[in-house]
Amino acid sequence: MTDITKEPENSTNKQGYWASVARDGKKMGFWFILPTIILLLFIVIFPLFMQLYLSVTWWTPLEGIPWYRAWEVFSWGDNYVYQFTDERVWGALWRTILIMVVAVPAQFFLGMSLAYLFMDNFPGRKIFYSIMLTPMMIVPAVVGLMFYLLFQGTGPINVHLGLPTTFSWLTDVNRAMISVIIADVWQWTPLMFLILLAGMLGVPSDQLMAAKLLGGSNWQNFLKIILPRMKAVIIIALVLRAVECFKIFDLVYIMTKGGPGVQTETISVFLYKMTFGEFEWSYVAALGLTILFVLSILAAKGLAYIAKKDG
Amino acid sequence: MSSIQINNVTKRFGDFTAVEDLSLDIEEGEFVALLGPSGCGKTTTMNMIAGIEDISEGSILFDGQDLSSTRIQDRNIGFVFQNYAIFTHLSVYRNLSYGLEVKKINKSEVDSRVRAMADRMSITHRLEQPASSLSVNEMQKLAIGRSAIVEPRIFLLDEPLSNLDAGFRAYMRAELKVLQHEFGQTMIYVTHDQIEAMSLADKIAIIDQGKLMQYGSPLDIYNSPDNRFVANFIGSPGMNLIDGKLREEKSQLKLMVHGGAEIPLKGQVKSNFTSDGSVHSGSFGIRPQDIYFGDKRSSNDIEMKGIVDVLERVGPKRIVHLQVSETNFIAFDDQDQLKLGEKVSFFLPSEKSMAFDEVSGRRLGVI
Amino acid sequence: MKVSPSSLVLKYFFVLFASAIVLYPLIWMVTMAFKPYPEWTTVAGLTWLPKNPTWQNFEFIFFGEAKGLVVSLDRTITGPFIASLVTSICGTIIAVVAGTLSSYACVRFGLAKTLPLSVLQLRLFPPLAVMIPVMVMWAFLGAVDTWWGLSLIYGIVTLPFAFWLMKTFFDEVPIEIEDAARVAGCSYWRVFYRITLPIVKPGLATCALFVFILNWSDYLLALLLTQKDWVTLPVYMATLTSAMGGQMYGMKAALGVIAAIPPVVFGLMIQKHLVRGLTFGALKQ
Repeated sequence: MTDITKEPENSTNKQGYWASVARDGKKMGFWFILPTIILLLFIVIFPLFMQLYLSVTWWTPLEGIPWYRAWEVFSWGDNYVYQFTDERVWGALWRTILIMVVAVPAQFFLGMSLAYLFMDNFPGRKIFYSIMLTPMMIVPAVVGLMFYLLFQGTGPINVHLGLPTTFSWLTDVNRAMISVIIADVWQWTPLMFLILLAGMLGVPSDQLMAAKLLGGSNWQNFLKIILPRMKAVIIIALVLRAVECFKIFDLVYIMTKGGPGVQTETISVFLYKMTFGEFEWSYVAALGLTILFVLSILAAKGLAYIAKKDG
Repeated sequence: MSSIQINNVTKRFGDFTAVEDLSLDIEEGEFVALLGPSGCGKTTTMNMIAGIEDISEGSILFDGQDLSSTRIQDRNIGFVFQNYAIFTHLSVYRNLSYGLEVKKINKSEVDSRVRAMADRMSITHRLEQPASSLSVNEMQKLAIGRSAIVEPRIFLLDEPLSNLDAGFRAYMRAELKVLQHEFGQTMIYVTHDQIEAMSLADKIAIIDQGKLMQYGSPLDIYNSPDNRFVANFIGSPGMNLIDGKLREEKSQLKLMVHGGAEIPLKGQVKSNFTSDGSVHSGSFGIRPQDIYFGDKRSSNDIEMKGIVDVLERVGPKRIVHLQVSETNFIAFDDQDQLKLGEKVSFFLPSEKSMAFDEVSGRRLGVI
Repeated sequence: MKVSPSSLVLKYFFVLFASAIVLYPLIWMVTMAFKPYPEWTTVAGLTWLPKNPTWQNFEFIFFGEAKGLVVSLDRTITGPFIASLVTSICGTIIAVVAGTLSSYACVRFGLAKTLPLSVLQLRLFPPLAVMIPVMVMWAFLGAVDTWWGLSLIYGIVTLPFAFWLMKTFFDEVPIEIEDAARVAGCSYWRVFYRITLPIVKPGLATCALFVFILNWSDYLLALLLTQKDWVTLPVYMATLTSAMGGQMYGMKAALGVIAAIPPVVFGLMIQKHLVRGLTFGALKQ
C-alpha cells in the first residue's frame, strides 16, 4: 500500500501557485466554486439583464436590427401593461392552474394509496416496485407520443372502451384537457409513490408495532401515527410536483400542440407559441420576468414559512 | 391475567437458529425473567410471545389457547420496548390515551383513566407536553403506563431499565415489583443484567444461544446451577471454573489442571466427580465468596497454595486473584490482610464445591 | 406476523391492477413499433399483438426506407441519436464537474453559503420564461444548432441536481477521515482527490447517471436551440415527417422505444438513490 500522504517521489517540490492552492483551503474552495460561478454569471445573471433590457423595447428578431440596438425601439413599460389585459395570458395561466389543481392532488392520492399498499413486504414486492417506478423514467416527450397514439380517435382507448372512432379526445374542446391530465397523472404518480413510500418507511417501526400492540388497527395507526409523521414529506412531494406541473410543456405540446385552439394552452405552450409562432420576443421577455418575479416572491414566502416552523 | 405455556418452540431465520426447542411454563401472575447474554435469543422469544415474530416450530399457549392466528391488535398484550417507542409526535396525554382511543371508549372515561394512570406513574405534571420532551426516566414511566392502561393479559418488558441511570434504576426496580403486585399481571422481563433478574423475578429462565439452560427461582439457580453455563453466569464475580483431567494417585483422586496445578478432591465434591463412572475430565467450581483463608475449618476442605497476583478493591471488599501454577483463583480478601506477591494457603470447602462434566457442562452428582 | 390470506389477495388485486395501468401505454407503444402500416389504427382492426409483426419501422428509421414502403426519410436516426448522446454526455460532464466541486467547497469550506439556495431556484422557473436572452445570445455567439451550445445549457440546467445530490453524499463522509488525513500531512487537494472522491465514487456514478437521464430526456431546450444538424432524439421523434407526409405512427413508436430505453435502464440501476436525487437530498431511501 502506498502512503498517499507523501508526495510522489519523483515530483519536484512544486513551489508554484497551484501547489499553494492545494494547501490552502480557502483558495482551493475559490477555484472549486469558480466554474459554477462563471456558468451562473454567463448563463443566468447576464441573460437576466439582457431580458430586462429587451422587455422594455418592442424588439423582435424580425425587426431586422441586432439585439443590442433594441433601444431603437424602446417601449418602456408597454409590454408589462399589455400582459395584464392580454386574455391569452390569463387563459394560459388559468389552464395551467387547472391542470395543477386536478393532476397534483390526483397523483397525491394515488401515490399515497400505492405507498400504503407497498408498505408491508409481500412476495414480489421488489419487482412490482420497479414496475411502478417505470413511468416517471420514460422520456416525457415519449410519454406525450404514447398518449397521443392512445387517444387517437382510431386508437386503442376508444376501442377498449367501446367508443366509436368519431369520439375524439385530443381534438375535443373539453376532453383534450382530460387527456393531458391523464397523461400527466400516469407519468408522475410514481414520483409521488416513491417519495411518499420513502416517508412512510421512515416512520419508526417500533412505534408502529407499539401502536399495533395497543390495539390500533392498521387504518387507525395509519391516520394517527404514520400520516402525522409524514407531514414534511408530504409537503416536499406536493411542492416539487406543483412546481414541475406548472412548467408542463413536453406532454401538452406533443399531444395537442395546445389545441384545439387554445384549449390546452398552458403557460409554457403559450410562451413557446409567442416565441416561435409570433416571434414577439420582447413581449415574452417581459412575461418571463413577471413570472420570475411572482414565483420568486412565492418561493421566498414559502421558505420564510418553513424557516419559521423549524424555529 | 394469563398463564403462558411455551412448548418446544424453535425459531429459525434462514440458516440461523435463534431459539431451539424452548419449553417454559409460566403461571398466572408470575414475574419471570428471561436472562442471558446478548444475542442469546431472549428478545426473539419474547417477540414470539407478543406475536411480533412467527414461530417456526412449536406453540405458545395463553391459558391453553393458541393465539398464533389472532392479529397482534387483538391479542391484548402489553409490551414495553427497550427504547420505549413513545409516540414522539403526540403529547403525553395522547400517548396514554392511545390504547383507549382505538377502542372507541368515550371521552370522559378515557380522561379519568388517563389522569389516574398519570397520577400513578407520577407524570401528571407532564400530561400536556410533547412526549419527546420527556427525560429518559419519565419516558420509561410513560411507556409502562401506556401499556398498563389497557389492562393487558400479560406484560412483556424488553430490557426496560438498561437505559436508565443507576440511581433511578434501583427506584424503578422497586416500582416495577410494586406495580406487578398491584396489577397482578403475568410479567415477562428480558434482561442481561443478573442483579435485576435476581432481585425482581419469581422465576428466572436462563437462555444461552437459543437454548434453555435452567428455569427456576433465583435461589435455586444460585445454589444449584444445573450446568456450567448457569454456574458461571450467575454471581458477581462469577464462579471459579477450573478444567482438568481426573487422575487417581495413591488412592487419592486429583483434578490435574492444564497448566500444572493439582486440586485434590475430597468429600462431597469427590463423590460428585465419581458419581458417573464414565467421566474422566471435568470442571471444578467454587464461588469466590466460599474460598477462605486462615485455619482449616473441616477435614474435607481442600487446601491450596498460591501467590497473590492481583488485588482489586470493589467498594468495601477486596477481590484477590490467587495464582496456582498457571491457574487463577478469584476470592475475597475479607480481612484485608493479603499483600501482593505473598504466598498464601487458601481453602476450598468441598461441600460448597461443584463438579461439572467437561463435555456436556451439566453438573455432576445431582440426581 | 400472519397476514390474513384475504387481505393478501386484495393487495395483489390492487397491485396487479396498478401494474396493468402502468404497463398499458408502454406495451401499446412497443407493439406499435412492430406493427406494419395498416395496423396502426382501428381502420384495419386494432389488436394487441401485431398480426404481421415486422421490422419495417425500425428499418425505416435506420435506413431511410424499407421494403414495402413507398415513403422515405430525409434523415435517419443516426444523426439525432449521436446528437442526444454527445450533448447528454457533455452536459453531464459539465454539470457533474461544476456541481461536485462547488458542492464540496460549500460543504467543507463553508464558501458561498447562498449557492445551494440560488442553485435550487434555477429549477423553479419555466424554461421559456428565461430562454429568450439565451436564444439571442446563442444566436449571437453562433451556438445555435451546435453540440457545445446545447451541452452548455444542459450543464447549467442540471447543475442544481448534481450540486445537491453530491452535497448529500459529501455530508455522509465523516469529517474525521479528512481531518485525520490533514493531520497526517495531506494538502486539501490530496484529501479531496485521494480520500473523499474515492469514498463518494458510487455517489458520483449515481449522480452522473441521474443527470444523464435528465439531459437525455430533454425536449424543450433542444427544440429551442437546435434546428437541423444537432436535433436530439426526442425532437426528431416528435417532428418526424417523411418526404411525402403521412402519419408515421409505427416509426414514431419505434423511435419512442429506442429513446426510452437508456433512461429506464439507468433509472433502474440507480433506483436506490432516486428519492435522494429527485428531492434534492431532502429524503433518503
